[in-house]
Amino acid sequence: MNIIEVKNLSFSYSETQVLRNISFEVEQGTFLAIVGPNGAGKSTLINLLSALLKRDSGVIKVDEKPIESYSTKALSEKIAVVRQESTPVFGFSVIETVMMARTTHYGQLGFETETDRQIVNEALKVTDTDRFAPRLLSNLSSGERQRVFITRAFAQDTPILLLDEPTSFLDYKHQVGIYDLLKKAQNERQKTILSVTHDINLAAQYADIALLIAADNNYVYGPTTDVLSQKQLEKFFDTKIFTADIGQGKFFMPLGKFAKDAGLVKTNNKRQT
Amino acid sequence: MKKWWYLLAAFICWVVAGFSIFDFLPAQNSIAARPYQEISRIISTAPNITEILFAVGLEEKITGVTSDSTYPASAAEKQNIGNFWQPDIEAIIAAKPNLVVTLGFPLYPQQQNLADRLRRFGYNSLTVFNTEKVSDLFDAIEKIGIATQRQGQANALAADIKQKLDRIGFLVAEKEKVRVLYVVQRNPLRVAGRDTFINEMIELAGGENAIGATIQKYPPISSEQLIACNTDVIIEPTMGQENAELLEQSGLQYWSRFKNIPAVKNKRIYVVADDAISQLGPRLPEGVETITRCLKPELFENQQ
Amino acid sequence: MAQLLTKRKLFWQITLALVVLMVVVLCCSLIGTKQISLKSVFARAGQPNTINPDYEIFMHVRLPRIFLACIVGAALACSGVVFQAILRNPLADPYILGISSGAGLGTIIAVISGLSLPILGNSPIAIFAFIGAIGTIWLVWFIGRLAGKSNVTGLLLAGVVVNAFFSAIIMFLTSIAKSQQIYATIFWLMGNISEESIFVLWLAAGLTIAGIVALFYISPQLNALCFGADEARSMGIDTSRTQLIAFAVAALITSIAVCLSGLIGFVGLIVPHGVRLVFGPDHRRLLPLSAITGAIFLTAADTLARTIVAPAQLPVGVVTAIAGGPFFLFLLIRYTRKIGWLNK
Repeated sequence: MNIIEVKNLSFSYSETQVLRNISFEVEQGTFLAIVGPNGAGKSTLINLLSALLKRDSGVIKVDEKPIESYSTKALSEKIAVVRQESTPVFGFSVIETVMMARTTHYGQLGFETETDRQIVNEALKVTDTDRFAPRLLSNLSSGERQRVFITRAFAQDTPILLLDEPTSFLDYKHQVGIYDLLKKAQNERQKTILSVTHDINLAAQYADIALLIAADNNYVYGPTTDVLSQKQLEKFFDTKIFTADIGQGKFFMPLGKFAKDAGLVKTNNKRQT
Repeated sequence: MKKWWYLLAAFICWVVAGFSIFDFLPAQNSIAARPYQEISRIISTAPNITEILFAVGLEEKITGVTSDSTYPASAAEKQNIGNFWQPDIEAIIAAKPNLVVTLGFPLYPQQQNLADRLRRFGYNSLTVFNTEKVSDLFDAIEKIGIATQRQGQANALAADIKQKLDRIGFLVAEKEKVRVLYVVQRNPLRVAGRDTFINEMIELAGGENAIGATIQKYPPISSEQLIACNTDVIIEPTMGQENAELLEQSGLQYWSRFKNIPAVKNKRIYVVADDAISQLGPRLPEGVETITRCLKPELFENQQ
Repeated sequence: MAQLLTKRKLFWQITLALVVLMVVVLCCSLIGTKQISLKSVFARAGQPNTINPDYEIFMHVRLPRIFLACIVGAALACSGVVFQAILRNPLADPYILGISSGAGLGTIIAVISGLSLPILGNSPIAIFAFIGAIGTIWLVWFIGRLAGKSNVTGLLLAGVVVNAFFSAIIMFLTSIAKSQQIYATIFWLMGNISEESIFVLWLAAGLTIAGIVALFYISPQLNALCFGADEARSMGIDTSRTQLIAFAVAALITSIAVCLSGLIGFVGLIVPHGVRLVFGPDHRRLLPLSAITGAIFLTAADTLARTIVAPAQLPVGVVTAIAGGPFFLFLLIRYTRKIGWLNK
């Protein structure tokens, strides 16, 4: 079942065309990695899919219904979004932050119900953040904070999770921790995950499908093994990339002219100098 | 959604309750407002009102005055009920007055406010001097006379003031008007304009305001305008604070810059004590005479 | 702070705060330039024809004044909470979007035009200040929206521009006004609490309380808005509706406060912070407790203002500034340590 359908989607910010006639379908329960150079429109795509921006033309369907037919509240029951972590200006605690995901389900006087509490507690357990539930968000490290935002997204209890560069600025341990969490959510709860990332290797290891977008609005969509190939990556990123096989996946390493192993890169395509 | 309707309903009930419980029309109530009661405890909230009360012979009946009521001297001994800008309503109430006389709107909104409040509580209050014309002075004297049942003394006072003013008027009638500038501030240079009661006094004193009509009542003027207005006389008030001598000394230096103005050339710059000039009270004729002495000193040579 | 707020906890905290408020009100009503005691106040039973000045002072002067201080204090504190939440700026106060210059402009226009018709027993100054305040805030809202929906920066910039423009007009009008008019304007704007008719106070109280309840209704949404409009919308919250309600209510109660008592500063800035430091940022608790704390704070400040240099009175804005300044500094130091600004 296609939980997300995008047909001929186009969008431009005043003069600049950011996306042109993109089409793709996402089956429920897949992990889609969205990659591409800066300015390709990855974040824009996330914002369009979460109805923060209005498209110029084309169709976006969520769960087989056009996205415009959803109210803000209804859409929030289908899609949860995780952006880069930030510290709020006011000192909310972890559990208060996570509970906010349930705001639309609160009772008449604005207090959470028993169901809400159960869902939040479960989310905290699953993401292993319940040990800092009472702590202030600002007292955590970036990695821990990002996990909290993912916990909040889990607490929203949605079939779809959109993430915009969830692991930029995080160290290895936290990167892997978060991607493991997402993969577990996909495997155990059939969540559909769309994650924008700059890390091609993580994408290769965790995602089933990949969408590779270029700044000139070109794109490639398909299984990760097909999309993330040396040839396509070199073309889209306009850099020499060294590839090696590791078990089921591949490994990609961009090498510039002055890198130690610059000579190792095979040149398959014509280069524009 | 229901909670919003509850809120609206509760609010409407609140407002309706307000209309039914409270009086939303001004005044009424109780005790102190008895029209033909003997007025024996009077409060004055301005120095010129105090002067009028004294002049009408009500000295003993005055219970409280503001701290700036310094004339006549015995006024300073009366109980203090705050100052002119902020009369203390608690002290006024504690003095149990049966008449409170204040200044009015639009010139003195805070005093009008005070009078309205007192009236709401049932106190007998009278407002006078809503504007600053000389006619207001006579009006105030008359009103005070009626309120305190001293019409006789009030009329006598009014007649006396009028007579003194007429005398001055007679002195300066048919004489050439002297151009005068009343300088209230030096830095920046500001003068009394045509739309002030000082202007009215100047005209009564046989003068003409050297400055023409201006939007502002006390306009700041430039050196150019100062020279252009060609004034014969300059009068500077002491504003109650400064030493007259100091002002004269610093004036010599200040005005020496404008050597070609007739007033400076002919050394006709006068520093005067202004408490009789800057407020509209029974000493109005003395204030006018002070100005006349500056404008036409020759008229007084044969007198003391 | 660390745990979730429950209905029961909130109920008890509000009740306790109200008790403290009652105690403060009672104490302050017995303090003033004239010494009165509860006994003498109620001794009027005797002769109906004599005046009991203690009773008069207590009922007609002090209690209405304290009632007014409570309304204004609550209104300003809640308005501060709301602006801090919407603008996501801890330094926001009720006047940040140009209300002060709007009220000032209304005031000086009323004073200069010399209107003498009292409206509902109020001088027209108050009405014009109200129109000025609420008109300005809608102007700022409108201009800010041109910069894009939910754009906080747009609002702030619009506020700065409108403030500057109105201040210039005020300066011009001041220059052509008579000195007494200027004094009247400045004195009125400096912030002062004086007595109003009970009916007006009742209406104002009704509007303010209704406003605070409305804000309480949208408190969970305000909580989410603290993370940004985008985040809140992704969580399913109708941010436009929430911002509109919050803005409208804050504008209304601030304009009422300004119309009743001029511009009293610091209350809207430090009370929300003080309450937040002790009780946390959850708006369901922050709003009602800020309202009550604001009422207590302003009542105490006003009592100080009218007794410390008796029989003259300090403008209450002076007292709130003197009390508020150092307290704010203290809060700031504690706050930045808590956030750990050395952290990224």
